[in-house]
Amino acid sequence: MTKVYAVFGGLVLAALTWVHLTGWSPSNVTEEKGIPKSVRDNPGSYRSTYGTRPYTGAK
Amino acid sequence: MALKPPPPPSVTALACRNCGAPLEIRAPGRSVVVACGACGAVLDAQDPQYAIIARYETKNVVAPAIPLGIRGRLKGEPWQVIGYQVRRTKIAEATYSWLEYLLHNPAQGFRWLVESNGHWTLAKTAAGVPSTVAEREAEYLGERYRHFQTAKAETAYVVGEFPWIVKAGDTAVVDDFVHPPLTLTRERTDQDTTWSVGEYLTGDAVWKAFTLPGAPPAAVGVGPAQPSPYSPRSRTMVLMLAAFVTAAVLIHLVFSMLSQQRLVLDQAWEFNPNASATATAMTEPFVLGGRTSNVLAEISTTVAQSWAYFTLTLVDAETDASRTFGREVSYYFGRDSDGAWTEGVPWDRAWLPSVPAGRYVLIVEPEGPQAFNYRVRLTRDVPRPLFVWLAIGVLCLPPIVFWWRKARFELLRWSESDHPMSGQSSSSDDDE
Repeated sequence: MTKVYAVFGGLVLAALTWVHLTGWSPSNVTEEKGIPKSVRDNPGSYRSTYGTRPYTGAK
Repeated sequence: MALKPPPPPSVTALACRNCGAPLEIRAPGRSVVVACGACGAVLDAQDPQYAIIARYETKNVVAPAIPLGIRGRLKGEPWQVIGYQVRRTKIAEATYSWLEYLLHNPAQGFRWLVESNGHWTLAKTAAGVPSTVAEREAEYLGERYRHFQTAKAETAYVVGEFPWIVKAGDTAVVDDFVHPPLTLTRERTDQDTTWSVGEYLTGDAVWKAFTLPGAPPAAVGVGPAQPSPYSPRSRTMVLMLAAFVTAAVLIHLVFSMLSQQRLVLDQAWEFNPNASATATAMTEPFVLGGRTSNVLAEISTTVAQSWAYFTLTLVDAETDASRTFGREVSYYFGRDSDGAWTEGVPWDRAWLPSVPAGRYVLIVEPEGPQAFNYRVRLTRDVPRPLFVWLAIGVLCLPPIVFWWRKARFELLRWSESDHPMSGQSSSSDDDE
Protein backbone atom coordinates (compact mmCIF):
# COMPACT_ATOMS: atom_id res chain seq x y z
CA MET A 1 0.00 0.00 0.00
CA THR A 2 2.81 2.43 0.82
CA LYS A 3 4.49 1.75 -2.54
CA VAL A 4 1.23 2.32 -4.36
CA TYR A 5 0.70 5.51 -2.36
CA ALA A 6 4.22 6.67 -3.16
CA VAL A 7 3.53 6.27 -6.89
CA PHE A 8 0.08 7.84 -6.53
CA GLY A 9 1.44 10.80 -4.57
CA GLY A 10 4.20 11.28 -7.12
CA LEU A 11 1.66 11.35 -9.94
CA VAL A 12 -0.53 13.88 -8.09
CA LEU A 13 2.47 16.16 -7.49
CA ALA A 14 3.54 15.78 -11.10
CA ALA A 15 0.03 16.70 -12.23
CA LEU A 16 0.03 19.70 -9.89
CA THR A 17 3.35 20.85 -11.33
CA TRP A 18 2.09 20.39 -14.89
CA VAL A 19 -1.12 22.32 -14.12
CA HIS A 20 0.89 25.18 -12.65
CA LEU A 21 3.33 25.08 -15.54
CA THR A 22 0.80 25.15 -18.37
CA GLY A 23 -2.06 26.97 -16.70
CA TRP A 24 -4.37 24.11 -17.65
CA SER A 25 -7.82 23.96 -16.12
CA PRO A 26 -10.52 21.30 -16.47
CA SER A 27 -13.41 23.69 -15.99
CA ASN A 28 -15.26 25.69 -18.60
CA VAL A 29 -14.59 29.37 -18.14
CA THR A 30 -17.83 30.44 -19.80
CA GLU A 31 -20.84 31.18 -17.64
CA GLU A 32 -24.11 30.50 -19.40
CA LYS A 33 -26.79 33.11 -19.42
CA GLY A 34 -28.90 30.48 -17.79
CA ILE A 35 -30.46 32.35 -14.94
CA PRO A 36 -34.10 33.03 -15.84
CA LYS A 37 -35.09 36.63 -16.17
CA SER A 38 -37.77 36.13 -13.58
CA VAL A 39 -35.05 35.22 -11.09
CA ARG A 40 -32.86 38.12 -12.12
CA ASP A 41 -35.74 40.45 -11.47
CA ASN A 42 -36.62 38.77 -8.18
CA PRO A 43 -33.30 37.73 -6.65
CA GLY A 44 -34.64 37.10 -3.15
CA SER A 45 -36.67 34.17 -4.43
CA TYR A 46 -33.62 31.94 -4.68
CA ARG A 47 -31.58 33.23 -1.79
CA SER A 48 -30.87 30.35 0.52
CA THR A 49 -29.42 32.30 3.40
CA TYR A 50 -29.45 35.78 4.82
CA GLY A 51 -25.87 36.13 5.95
CA THR A 52 -25.58 34.66 9.44
CA ARG A 53 -29.31 34.84 10.07
CA PRO A 54 -31.46 31.73 9.68
CA TYR A 55 -33.62 31.42 6.62
CA THR A 56 -37.21 32.41 7.39
CA GLY A 57 -38.89 31.99 4.04
CA ALA A 58 -38.88 33.45 0.60
CA LYS A 59 -39.84 36.99 -0.03
CA MET B 1 35.83 -31.89 17.08
CA ALA B 2 32.45 -32.24 15.44
CA LEU B 3 29.58 -32.92 17.76
CA LYS B 4 27.53 -35.97 17.03
CA PRO B 5 23.80 -35.28 16.67
CA PRO B 6 21.78 -36.69 19.53
CA PRO B 7 20.13 -40.03 18.85
CA PRO B 8 16.42 -39.87 18.00
CA PRO B 9 14.21 -40.30 21.04
CA SER B 10 13.16 -43.84 21.73
CA VAL B 11 9.58 -44.79 21.06
CA THR B 12 7.70 -47.29 23.14
CA ALA B 13 5.01 -49.27 21.34
CA LEU B 14 2.15 -50.78 23.26
CA ALA B 15 -1.38 -52.01 22.80
CA CYS B 16 -4.33 -50.25 24.36
CA ARG B 17 -5.27 -52.10 27.53
CA ASN B 18 -8.90 -51.49 26.74
CA CYS B 19 -9.36 -52.13 23.01
CA GLY B 20 -6.00 -53.44 21.84
CA ALA B 21 -5.39 -50.61 19.38
CA PRO B 22 -1.68 -49.93 18.78
CA LEU B 23 -0.32 -46.94 20.74
CA GLU B 24 3.07 -45.29 20.97
CA ILE B 25 4.77 -43.30 23.69
CA ARG B 26 7.09 -40.81 21.97
CA ALA B 27 8.21 -38.93 25.08
CA PRO B 28 8.88 -41.73 27.53
CA GLY B 29 9.62 -40.50 31.01
CA ARG B 30 7.86 -37.17 30.37
CA SER B 31 4.41 -38.28 29.32
CA VAL B 32 2.07 -38.96 32.21
CA VAL B 33 -0.82 -40.43 30.26
CA VAL B 34 -1.47 -41.78 26.81
CA ALA B 35 -4.98 -41.53 25.42
CA CYS B 36 -6.36 -44.04 22.96
CA GLY B 37 -8.23 -42.28 20.17
CA ALA B 38 -10.03 -45.51 19.22
CA CYS B 39 -11.79 -46.27 22.48
CA GLY B 40 -11.29 -43.27 24.72
CA ALA B 41 -9.23 -45.07 27.34
CA VAL B 42 -6.56 -43.04 29.13
CA LEU B 43 -3.59 -45.17 30.21
CA ASP B 44 -0.97 -44.41 32.83
CA ALA B 45 2.14 -43.88 30.70
CA GLN B 46 4.45 -44.20 33.69
CA ASP B 47 3.02 -47.50 34.86
CA PRO B 48 4.88 -50.53 33.44
CA GLN B 49 1.50 -52.19 32.98
CA TYR B 50 -0.08 -49.08 31.41
CA ALA B 51 -3.06 -49.31 33.68
CA ILE B 52 -6.28 -47.62 32.60
CA ILE B 53 -6.87 -44.58 34.74
CA ALA B 54 -9.89 -43.10 32.91
CA ARG B 55 -12.29 -44.00 30.19
CA TYR B 56 -14.76 -41.93 28.21
CA GLU B 57 -17.21 -42.51 25.42
CA THR B 58 -15.89 -41.76 21.94
CA LYS B 59 -18.76 -41.17 19.56
CA ASN B 60 -16.51 -40.40 16.62
CA VAL B 61 -12.88 -41.07 15.92
CA VAL B 62 -11.28 -37.74 15.04
CA ALA B 63 -8.37 -37.71 12.60
CA PRO B 64 -6.00 -34.81 13.34
CA ALA B 65 -5.06 -32.75 10.30
CA ILE B 66 -1.45 -33.00 11.51
CA PRO B 67 -0.84 -36.72 12.12
CA LEU B 68 0.56 -37.83 15.47
CA GLY B 69 4.23 -38.72 15.28
CA ILE B 70 5.03 -36.32 12.44
CA ARG B 71 8.12 -34.15 12.87
CA GLY B 72 8.62 -30.58 11.76
CA ARG B 73 10.63 -27.45 12.45
CA LEU B 74 8.94 -24.41 13.98
CA LYS B 75 10.75 -21.26 15.08
CA GLY B 76 14.04 -22.97 14.27
CA GLU B 77 13.48 -25.95 16.57
CA PRO B 78 12.49 -29.52 15.66
CA TRP B 79 9.19 -30.70 17.12
CA GLN B 80 7.21 -33.91 17.08
CA VAL B 81 3.43 -34.03 17.38
CA ILE B 82 2.64 -36.42 20.24
CA GLY B 83 -0.83 -35.43 21.41
CA TYR B 84 -4.00 -33.90 20.18
CA GLN B 85 -7.14 -32.68 21.85
CA VAL B 86 -10.34 -31.03 20.73
CA ARG B 87 -11.74 -28.46 23.11
CA ARG B 88 -15.01 -26.60 22.98
CA THR B 89 -16.97 -23.90 24.71
CA LYS B 90 -20.54 -22.81 24.66
CA ILE B 91 -21.36 -19.14 24.27
CA ALA B 92 -24.97 -18.02 23.95
CA GLU B 93 -26.15 -21.53 23.06
CA ALA B 94 -23.58 -21.78 20.27
CA THR B 95 -20.72 -24.29 20.58
CA TYR B 96 -17.28 -23.26 19.42
CA SER B 97 -14.41 -25.70 19.20
CA TRP B 98 -10.68 -25.48 18.62
CA LEU B 99 -7.84 -27.93 18.25
CA GLU B 100 -4.69 -28.24 20.30
CA TYR B 101 -1.66 -30.25 19.19
CA LEU B 102 0.96 -31.12 21.76
CA LEU B 103 4.50 -30.85 20.40
CA HIS B 104 7.54 -32.37 22.04
CA ASN B 105 11.24 -31.70 21.76
CA PRO B 106 13.60 -33.62 24.09
CA ALA B 107 15.64 -30.47 24.77
CA GLN B 108 12.92 -27.81 24.69
CA GLY B 109 10.08 -29.69 26.34
CA PHE B 110 6.49 -29.18 25.25
CA ARG B 111 4.67 -26.65 23.11
CA TRP B 112 1.05 -26.25 22.16
CA LEU B 113 0.07 -25.66 18.56
CA VAL B 114 -3.47 -24.31 18.71
CA GLU B 115 -5.76 -23.95 15.70
CA SER B 116 -9.00 -22.01 15.73
CA ASN B 117 -10.86 -21.02 12.57
CA GLY B 118 -7.70 -21.46 10.52
CA HIS B 119 -5.64 -19.24 12.83
CA TRP B 120 -2.65 -20.88 14.56
CA THR B 121 -0.76 -20.12 17.74
CA LEU B 122 2.42 -21.73 19.03
CA ALA B 123 2.28 -21.55 22.81
CA LYS B 124 4.48 -22.52 25.73
CA THR B 125 4.20 -22.30 29.48
CA ALA B 126 4.89 -18.78 30.71
CA ALA B 127 8.21 -18.32 32.48
CA GLY B 128 6.60 -16.41 35.33
CA VAL B 129 3.22 -15.38 36.62
CA PRO B 130 1.88 -12.39 34.71
CA SER B 131 0.16 -9.64 36.64
CA THR B 132 -3.38 -8.62 35.82
CA VAL B 133 -5.04 -5.22 36.07
CA ALA B 134 -8.75 -5.50 36.90
CA GLU B 135 -8.93 -8.55 34.63
CA ARG B 136 -8.86 -6.18 31.63
CA GLU B 137 -5.13 -6.27 31.14
CA ALA B 138 -2.25 -8.58 31.88
CA GLU B 139 1.41 -7.68 31.94
CA TYR B 140 4.11 -10.19 31.09
CA LEU B 141 7.80 -9.50 30.45
CA GLY B 142 7.12 -5.79 30.06
CA GLU B 143 4.34 -6.20 27.49
CA ARG B 144 0.73 -5.31 28.17
CA TYR B 145 -1.93 -7.71 26.91
CA ARG B 146 -5.59 -6.73 26.55
CA HIS B 147 -8.23 -9.11 27.76
CA PHE B 148 -9.92 -10.72 24.78
CA GLN B 149 -12.24 -13.41 26.03
CA THR B 150 -13.11 -15.59 28.98
CA ALA B 151 -14.71 -18.95 28.32
CA LYS B 152 -15.29 -22.27 30.03
CA ALA B 153 -13.42 -24.80 27.94
CA GLU B 154 -14.27 -28.49 27.93
CA THR B 155 -12.05 -31.20 26.52
CA ALA B 156 -14.14 -33.03 23.94
CA TYR B 157 -11.63 -35.51 22.54
CA VAL B 158 -8.08 -36.56 23.29
CA VAL B 159 -5.62 -38.85 21.58
CA GLY B 160 -1.92 -39.36 22.12
CA GLU B 161 0.20 -38.70 25.15
CA PHE B 162 0.23 -35.81 27.59
CA PRO B 163 2.42 -34.68 30.46
CA TRP B 164 -0.56 -34.45 32.77
CA ILE B 165 -3.67 -36.50 33.42
CA VAL B 166 -6.09 -35.47 30.73
CA LYS B 167 -9.41 -36.91 29.75
CA ALA B 168 -12.48 -35.93 27.81
CA GLY B 169 -14.87 -33.90 29.91
CA ASP B 170 -12.14 -31.97 31.72
CA THR B 171 -13.13 -28.34 32.13
CA ALA B 172 -11.19 -25.18 32.77
CA VAL B 173 -11.87 -21.45 32.71
CA VAL B 174 -9.74 -19.95 29.96
CA ASP B 175 -8.87 -16.26 29.83
CA ASP B 176 -7.24 -15.00 26.67
CA PHE B 177 -5.24 -11.77 26.58
CA VAL B 178 -3.76 -10.48 23.33
CA HIS B 179 -0.93 -8.28 22.23
CA PRO B 180 -0.63 -9.19 18.54
CA PRO B 181 1.13 -11.27 17.46
CA LEU B 182 1.43 -12.55 21.05
CA THR B 183 -1.25 -14.09 23.16
CA LEU B 184 -1.36 -14.83 26.88
CA THR B 185 -3.68 -17.52 28.19
CA ARG B 186 -4.65 -18.35 31.73
CA GLU B 187 -6.29 -21.70 32.44
CA ARG B 188 -7.95 -22.13 35.80
CA THR B 189 -9.20 -25.37 37.27
CA ASP B 190 -10.18 -26.24 40.81
CA GLN B 191 -6.66 -27.51 41.37
CA ASP B 192 -4.35 -25.02 39.73
CA THR B 193 -3.82 -22.04 37.44
CA THR B 194 -1.42 -22.11 34.53
CA TRP B 195 -0.28 -19.35 32.20
CA SER B 196 0.95 -19.85 28.66
CA VAL B 197 2.28 -17.40 26.12
CA GLY B 198 1.87 -17.92 22.40
CA GLU B 199 2.73 -16.38 19.08
CA TYR B 200 0.52 -16.22 16.01
CA LEU B 201 1.36 -18.42 13.03
CA THR B 202 -0.23 -18.68 9.64
CA GLY B 203 -1.56 -21.99 8.39
CA ASP B 204 0.89 -21.88 5.53
CA ALA B 205 3.81 -21.63 7.99
CA VAL B 206 2.53 -24.68 9.89
CA TRP B 207 1.99 -26.69 6.73
CA LYS B 208 5.44 -25.78 5.50
CA ALA B 209 7.00 -26.63 8.88
CA PHE B 210 5.57 -30.15 8.86
CA THR B 211 5.70 -30.55 5.05
CA LEU B 212 2.04 -31.48 5.03
CA PRO B 213 0.22 -32.22 1.78
CA GLY B 214 -2.58 -30.01 0.53
CA ALA B 215 -3.54 -26.66 1.97
CA PRO B 216 -4.20 -25.63 5.58
CA PRO B 217 -7.74 -24.81 6.68
CA ALA B 218 -8.76 -21.42 5.35
CA ALA B 219 -8.53 -18.66 7.96
CA VAL B 220 -11.93 -17.26 8.86
CA GLY B 221 -12.16 -13.63 9.92
CA VAL B 222 -9.37 -12.10 11.96
CA GLY B 223 -7.58 -14.14 14.62
CA PRO B 224 -7.33 -12.74 18.16
CA ALA B 225 -3.53 -12.48 17.93
CA GLN B 226 -3.28 -12.02 14.18
CA PRO B 227 -0.89 -9.15 13.51
CA SER B 228 -2.49 -6.30 11.63
CA PRO B 229 -0.91 -5.78 8.21
CA TYR B 230 -1.71 -2.09 8.60
CA SER B 231 -0.17 -1.21 11.97
CA PRO B 232 3.49 -1.35 10.86
CA ARG B 233 2.69 1.01 7.98
CA SER B 234 0.66 3.60 9.89
CA ARG B 235 3.63 5.78 10.70
CA THR B 236 4.92 5.53 7.14
CA MET B 237 1.53 6.62 5.81
CA VAL B 238 1.48 9.63 8.14
CA LEU B 239 5.00 10.63 7.11
CA MET B 240 4.23 10.17 3.42
CA LEU B 241 1.04 12.23 3.69
CA ALA B 242 2.93 15.01 5.48
CA ALA B 243 5.69 14.90 2.86
CA PHE B 244 3.26 15.01 -0.06
CA VAL B 245 1.22 17.89 1.42
CA THR B 246 4.40 19.82 2.12
CA ALA B 247 5.61 19.17 -1.41
CA ALA B 248 2.28 20.33 -2.88
CA VAL B 249 2.41 23.57 -0.89
CA LEU B 250 6.05 24.08 -1.88
CA ILE B 251 5.23 23.55 -5.55
CA HIS B 252 2.54 26.20 -5.30
CA LEU B 253 4.84 28.61 -3.45
CA VAL B 254 7.63 28.12 -5.98
CA PHE B 255 5.30 28.78 -8.90
CA SER B 256 3.83 31.76 -7.04
CA MET B 257 7.31 33.23 -6.75
CA LEU B 258 8.44 32.38 -10.27
CA SER B 259 5.22 33.08 -12.19
CA GLN B 260 4.96 36.32 -14.18
CA GLN B 261 1.73 37.67 -12.63
CA ARG B 262 2.11 40.53 -15.10
CA LEU B 263 -0.75 42.97 -15.72
CA VAL B 264 -1.08 43.12 -19.51
CA LEU B 265 -4.37 44.97 -19.85
CA ASP B 266 -6.24 47.43 -17.65
CA GLN B 267 -8.95 49.33 -19.49
CA ALA B 268 -12.28 50.90 -18.58
CA TRP B 269 -15.42 51.53 -20.66
CA GLU B 270 -19.01 52.47 -20.17
CA PHE B 271 -22.13 50.73 -21.37
CA ASN B 272 -25.53 52.11 -22.17
CA PRO B 273 -28.21 49.78 -23.52
CA ASN B 274 -29.63 52.65 -25.54
CA ALA B 275 -26.32 53.60 -27.17
CA SER B 276 -25.22 51.15 -29.84
CA ALA B 277 -21.72 52.64 -29.86
CA THR B 278 -21.12 51.12 -26.44
CA ALA B 279 -22.28 47.63 -27.47
CA THR B 280 -18.76 46.53 -28.38
CA ALA B 281 -15.34 47.55 -27.11
CA MET B 282 -11.99 46.49 -28.50
CA THR B 283 -8.54 46.95 -27.03
CA GLU B 284 -5.26 47.82 -28.66
CA PRO B 285 -2.97 44.81 -29.24
CA PHE B 286 -1.13 43.64 -26.16
CA VAL B 287 1.51 40.98 -25.62
CA LEU B 288 1.16 37.80 -23.60
CA GLY B 289 4.72 36.68 -23.02
CA GLY B 290 6.50 33.66 -21.64
CA ARG B 291 5.44 30.04 -21.84
CA THR B 292 1.89 28.86 -22.44
CA SER B 293 0.08 29.65 -19.21
CA ASN B 294 -3.17 31.03 -17.89
CA VAL B 295 -4.60 34.54 -17.99
CA LEU B 296 -6.64 35.95 -15.13
CA ALA B 297 -9.53 38.08 -16.39
CA GLU B 298 -11.09 40.44 -13.84
CA ILE B 299 -14.19 42.50 -14.50
CA SER B 300 -15.33 45.19 -12.11
CA THR B 301 -18.54 47.12 -12.70
CA THR B 302 -20.84 49.74 -11.22
CA VAL B 303 -23.80 47.38 -11.59
CA ALA B 304 -26.30 47.75 -8.73
CA GLN B 305 -29.72 46.16 -8.37
CA SER B 306 -29.13 44.73 -11.81
CA TRP B 307 -27.09 42.32 -13.85
CA ALA B 308 -24.66 42.45 -16.73
CA TYR B 309 -23.38 39.80 -19.08
CA PHE B 310 -20.07 40.06 -20.88
CA THR B 311 -19.06 38.17 -23.99
CA LEU B 312 -15.28 38.42 -24.22
CA THR B 313 -13.23 37.26 -27.19
CA LEU B 314 -9.46 36.99 -27.02
CA VAL B 315 -8.10 37.13 -30.57
CA ASP B 316 -4.55 36.27 -31.58
CA ALA B 317 -3.56 39.26 -33.70
CA GLU B 318 -1.11 37.16 -35.74
CA THR B 319 -3.20 34.08 -36.51
CA ASP B 320 -6.75 35.36 -35.87
CA ALA B 321 -7.29 32.33 -33.65
CA SER B 322 -9.81 33.28 -30.99
CA ARG B 323 -11.39 32.02 -27.82
CA THR B 324 -14.69 33.39 -26.61
CA PHE B 325 -16.06 33.19 -23.10
CA GLY B 326 -18.95 34.72 -21.23
CA ARG B 327 -19.18 36.03 -17.70
CA GLU B 328 -22.10 37.33 -15.73
CA VAL B 329 -22.15 39.91 -12.96
CA SER B 330 -25.15 40.59 -10.78
CA TYR B 331 -25.48 42.59 -7.62
CA TYR B 332 -28.56 43.14 -5.52
CA PHE B 333 -29.04 44.42 -2.02
CA GLY B 334 -31.83 45.58 0.23
CA ARG B 335 -33.42 45.32 3.62
CA ASP B 336 -36.42 43.34 4.75
CA SER B 337 -37.88 41.98 7.95
CA ASP B 338 -34.77 39.82 8.40
CA GLY B 339 -32.47 42.78 8.11
CA ALA B 340 -30.06 43.85 5.40
CA TRP B 341 -29.24 41.45 2.60
CA THR B 342 -27.00 41.40 -0.42
CA GLU B 343 -26.73 39.05 -3.28
CA GLY B 344 -23.93 38.65 -5.77
CA VAL B 345 -21.05 41.06 -6.27
CA PRO B 346 -20.46 43.73 -8.87
CA TRP B 347 -17.27 42.10 -10.03
CA ASP B 348 -16.08 38.79 -11.48
CA ARG B 349 -12.89 36.92 -12.15
CA ALA B 350 -12.02 33.96 -14.36
CA TRP B 351 -8.89 32.07 -15.35
CA LEU B 352 -8.38 31.43 -19.07
CA PRO B 353 -6.44 28.15 -19.26
CA SER B 354 -3.34 27.49 -21.36
CA VAL B 355 -3.08 30.64 -23.48
CA PRO B 356 -0.03 30.52 -25.79
CA ALA B 357 2.30 33.50 -25.97
CA GLY B 358 1.56 36.11 -28.70
CA ARG B 359 -0.02 39.46 -29.54
CA TYR B 360 -3.69 39.63 -28.73
CA VAL B 361 -6.65 41.95 -28.75
CA LEU B 362 -9.69 41.64 -26.52
CA ILE B 363 -13.22 42.28 -27.77
CA VAL B 364 -15.82 42.93 -25.08
CA GLU B 365 -19.56 42.82 -25.74
CA PRO B 366 -21.53 43.79 -22.64
CA GLU B 367 -25.27 43.31 -22.12
CA GLY B 368 -27.61 44.49 -19.42
CA PRO B 369 -30.85 46.29 -18.69
CA GLN B 370 -29.18 49.36 -17.22
CA ALA B 371 -26.23 51.59 -17.98
CA PHE B 372 -23.02 50.94 -16.08
CA ASN B 373 -19.29 51.51 -16.17
CA TYR B 374 -16.93 48.58 -16.26
CA ARG B 375 -13.27 47.82 -16.22
CA VAL B 376 -11.38 44.78 -17.53
CA ARG B 377 -7.97 43.68 -16.27
CA LEU B 378 -5.95 40.81 -17.71
CA THR B 379 -3.04 39.37 -15.74
CA ARG B 380 -0.69 36.82 -17.27
CA ASP B 381 0.42 33.63 -15.47
CA VAL B 382 -1.36 33.62 -12.09
CA PRO B 383 -1.09 30.41 -9.98
CA ARG B 384 -4.45 29.10 -8.72
CA PRO B 385 -4.59 28.05 -5.05
CA LEU B 386 -7.63 25.89 -5.94
CA PHE B 387 -5.40 23.24 -7.45
CA VAL B 388 -3.27 22.97 -4.30
CA TRP B 389 -6.39 22.32 -2.24
CA LEU B 390 -7.60 19.80 -4.79
CA ALA B 391 -4.21 18.05 -4.75
CA ILE B 392 -4.19 17.93 -0.94
CA GLY B 393 -7.70 16.48 -0.96
CA VAL B 394 -6.75 13.80 -3.46
CA LEU B 395 -3.55 13.03 -1.52
CA CYS B 396 -5.63 12.45 1.62
CA LEU B 397 -7.84 9.83 -0.02
CA PRO B 398 -5.44 6.82 0.15
CA PRO B 399 -4.59 7.43 3.85
CA ILE B 400 -8.31 7.70 4.62
CA VAL B 401 -8.91 4.36 2.89
CA PHE B 402 -5.87 2.91 4.70
CA TRP B 403 -7.07 4.00 8.15
CA TRP B 404 -10.58 2.83 7.41
CA ARG B 405 -9.27 -0.63 6.51
CA LYS B 406 -7.04 -0.65 9.58
CA ALA B 407 -9.99 0.22 11.83
CA ARG B 408 -12.12 -2.42 10.12
CA PHE B 409 -9.42 -5.06 10.74
CA GLU B 410 -9.44 -4.28 14.46
CA LEU B 411 -13.24 -4.17 14.45
CA LEU B 412 -13.29 -7.71 13.03
CA ARG B 413 -10.67 -8.90 15.52
CA TRP B 414 -12.59 -7.64 18.53
CA SER B 415 -16.02 -8.59 17.21
CA GLU B 416 -15.44 -12.13 18.52
CA SER B 417 -14.19 -10.96 21.89
CA ASP B 418 -15.90 -10.01 25.13
CA HIS B 419 -15.19 -6.39 24.24
CA PRO B 420 -16.49 -5.73 20.72
CA MET B 421 -15.66 -2.30 19.33
CA SER B 422 -19.11 -1.79 17.87
CA GLY B 423 -20.31 -0.31 21.14
CA GLN B 424 -22.29 -3.38 22.13
CA SER B 425 -21.64 -4.63 25.63
CA SER B 426 -20.82 -8.25 26.11
CA SER B 427 -22.09 -10.38 28.93
CA SER B 428 -18.80 -10.02 30.78
CA ASP B 429 -18.97 -6.25 30.43
CA ASP B 430 -22.44 -6.30 31.82
CA ASP B 431 -21.26 -8.24 34.80
CA GLU B 432 -18.79 -5.57 35.79
